[in-house]
Amino acid sequence: MKDVLRILLPLLVWLASFSAIYGLHGIGCAAGWPDVALAGSSLFRLALLAAWIAAIVLQVAILIALRSTRFRADEGFAYRVSVALAWVGVVAILWTLFPLATVAECRVMG
Amino acid sequence: MTALRRHRRLSAIWASEPGWKGWTSSVNHTDLGRMFLATSFFFFFVGGVLAMLVRAQLATPHSAFADAGAFSQFFTMHGTIMMFLFAIPTFEGLAIYLLPKLLGTRDLAFPRLTAYGYWCYVFGGSMLLVAMVLGIAPDGGWFMYPPLTGPLHSPGINTDFWLIGITFVEISAIAAAVELTVSILKYRAPGMSLDKMPIFAWYALVTALMILTGFPPLILGSVLLELERAFGLPFFQVELGGDSLLWQHLFWLFGHPEVYIIFLPAAGVISTIIPVMARTTLLGYGWIVASAVALAFLSFGLWVHHMFTTGIPFMGLAFFSAASTLVAVPTGVQVFAWIGTLWKGRPELHLPMLHILGFFVTFLIGGLTGVMVAVVPFDWQVHDTAFVTAHLHYVLFGGFVFPILAGIYYWLPLFSGRRRFFRLGELAFALIFLGFHGTFLAMHWVGLLGQRRRIETYDAETGWGTINLISSISSFVMAIGLAMVLVDLLIHAFVSVRAARNPWKAGSLEWASMSPPPPYNFASLPQVDTRDPLHGDPDLPNRLARGEGYLGDPATDRRETLTVSIGAARPDFMVIYPGNTRLPIVMAAVTGLFFLSILLKLYWVTPLALAGVAALAVVWVWRLGTQMDQGPQEAGRGVTLPLAGETEKSPGWWGSVFLLVANATFFGSLLFGYAFLWTVAPGWPPQEWLAPSLLEFGAGTLAAVIAMLALRFAIRRNRRHGGALPRLALALGATAVTALVFATLLVRLPPADGHAYAATLFVLGAYGLFHALLVGLMLAFVIARVRRGYASAVRVAEFHIVLLWTDYLAGITVLSLLAAHVPGVLA
Repeated sequence: MKDVLRILLPLLVWLASFSAIYGLHGIGCAAGWPDVALAGSSLFRLALLAAWIAAIVLQVAILIALRSTRFRADEGFAYRVSVALAWVGVVAILWTLFPLATVAECRVMG
Repeated sequence: MTALRRHRRLSAIWASEPGWKGWTSSVNHTDLGRMFLATSFFFFFVGGVLAMLVRAQLATPHSAFADAGAFSQFFTMHGTIMMFLFAIPTFEGLAIYLLPKLLGTRDLAFPRLTAYGYWCYVFGGSMLLVAMVLGIAPDGGWFMYPPLTGPLHSPGINTDFWLIGITFVEISAIAAAVELTVSILKYRAPGMSLDKMPIFAWYALVTALMILTGFPPLILGSVLLELERAFGLPFFQVELGGDSLLWQHLFWLFGHPEVYIIFLPAAGVISTIIPVMARTTLLGYGWIVASAVALAFLSFGLWVHHMFTTGIPFMGLAFFSAASTLVAVPTGVQVFAWIGTLWKGRPELHLPMLHILGFFVTFLIGGLTGVMVAVVPFDWQVHDTAFVTAHLHYVLFGGFVFPILAGIYYWLPLFSGRRRFFRLGELAFALIFLGFHGTFLAMHWVGLLGQRRRIETYDAETGWGTINLISSISSFVMAIGLAMVLVDLLIHAFVSVRAARNPWKAGSLEWASMSPPPPYNFASLPQVDTRDPLHGDPDLPNRLARGEGYLGDPATDRRETLTVSIGAARPDFMVIYPGNTRLPIVMAAVTGLFFLSILLKLYWVTPLALAGVAALAVVWVWRLGTQMDQGPQEAGRGVTLPLAGETEKSPGWWGSVFLLVANATFFGSLLFGYAFLWTVAPGWPPQEWLAPSLLEFGAGTLAAVIAMLALRFAIRRNRRHGGALPRLALALGATAVTALVFATLLVRLPPADGHAYAATLFVLGAYGLFHALLVGLMLAFVIARVRRGYASAVRVAEFHIVLLWTDYLAGITVLSLLAAHVPGVLA
């Protein structure tokens, strides 16, 4: 079962991070964080950037752990698949959340 | 013992009752898989007829064929039937039929659950058909958006049929998902480690896990909307603190993964058939497994791309647009792996391969238009137009129907033991392919021109008449092609010649059994060393028939199989299955009575039906186990194994783990809904909060923890041969206190129909109370089993199953009480 969990873990963490940051985005918009100036930016942008960086660090940590001798899968197949999916997790967290660095904060269509 | 005598002996042990009565009592996966498939294709036929009615109406401008009300019922029922009563059950049926054969075992993990799921599907689907025949079918679109489907705008019973009928059918999906997950992880042939599993099993495992986590949000949404419609709890009414967008979130949290729940099993069929047709092995097995897992997870991060026009902030749109484009990558990896497999092999153009080619063309177009609608500005232009309808049909028909037709023709010699005589299937394929593309290419076009979906008419001046006529004529060509497939299969059943075993020269284990397969699948279970066992050992079928594998000696009258460790597939336990029984159909009928009582508002029947289900559940589990320790059992090939009931992690324990995964997703979705309403819905905060109570919070938390600990102490005492009963009684008492706390919470709440806050807490409290009563029932059951001698220091399986549920109750108690009391404290 541990090998199955190793295979599932990287993208489970991505999904949790992605959903949590989307939730944080909703809370920030509802609470008016974009209007709170902070360090030349806004509380909203900085809070989301901090969460994104934490999520990236977490995905990279999982990648390193799944390649390490302590946590890696014993069996070759599970090792290869889990490491491949850990890389997918890193790419996914970078790609799916990069808009928070570039896109307008809480503006809506119309 | 000769192979023939072994066959006769095993057949007598495993056979279902003869005749139609056998359908009601069979728990055999081969029977039930066939029944699932036959029923799902019946619904496919009904859904297809409804599609023809839709196209007949749209063939000409201002058609008088159907009025707006009837048209709404046509398209709603078409979508509902195809999604819930055809696509998912077809996967379930195929997986139920095939998996034990592919995995080299004799049946699925919980045969009675298979039967229960099937009958829930039949009864739930029948409710929707009855509604259609009576002219009161659901008419709010297959995704049932409130406020249109709320009590104000849809006061009739139509929507209730959908909410209750589909929830009933979803029991079947959850049951099948638990069943398949445990079976794939534990019920494999010895030696079939994760890297040697048939690729279809990987896809089925991923799909089953997706069902467990994808369906609960929809079940929750259906429960909430029905509570709003029946009792006025305002989850989706803005003026009372609700928000109709909550439904969209819950629906699409299910709805987008649903697309992949439909596609992935079909991809499993493709990955199985292509190497056989190309006379080679699958290229990039590991990459395909990784892609399937990636696709599954990414699909859960896309749900908002169905909501791009609902006024979500740009940043949120961009997150989901990016995620939607990313999902094309693992899909592309699989497609290139299939192309590479064809490239390295020597493809032969048999009928299954024609349908695979149909899949490639159609799904590629559907995938590309999917990337188009993932781009927000484009989606804004085509949202709710026929373009989107065309896109989803390219994905679903291309990604599911073509592969399933390929699969049916591929496994037809296994199903029937015959080979095709006439060549009707090739002509049928041509008509389906041409008809499909004629229908939906035209629909892309007319959608880009601005034709709205779900509108029953259009003006002649729009210039859409000719395009719609082409689309409608093509749809009838497609329908004729599909009807010819049906005719081909019927002819095959009566007029065809006997096929040799394994006509495609495949390497997977399903072809090692007889064709058609006997009820026990394999006379003895194989030891697997490669991914394609029949290629490595062509004599394997004969050796298994001679009883040279595991469990090859049917000395007892027991239905036996064995389980293996999840990773390396070493034999770990022996399982003894229950025999034929009508308990599943009776329990499904009583479950149906529960749903009917809500539908017809006969609320006095509801608790009786619930009590009936509980009583039958007790009978269900009481029949398992023995009053004596059995000790290690001879499993053949020099191996002795303990019985599964004499272990801590029995199949029931694994089943509970995965059922609790689905349950926790339901609970998590409820907490998400609470947080969503709190932060996004207008009309918050409520006028009145629940008064915080330290006594209530403390008593609930303490009681839940005491129950957990007492059960652990009971297990420890039981291991030392006795003394478990007082501790079990303590656990039961503590659970009763938990139930009392939830009941008190429900009584103290502000009126639940006054604001979404109180309504949400009402559901949270009812959920907690239900689980406290459930765990109480389980503990009472274990006490009765201990008293009757069904438990010992060795026979411990039931203790550990109940422990899982007790722990879960403790978790949800603490979280629910926090969610209920903290807001009042902060206020």
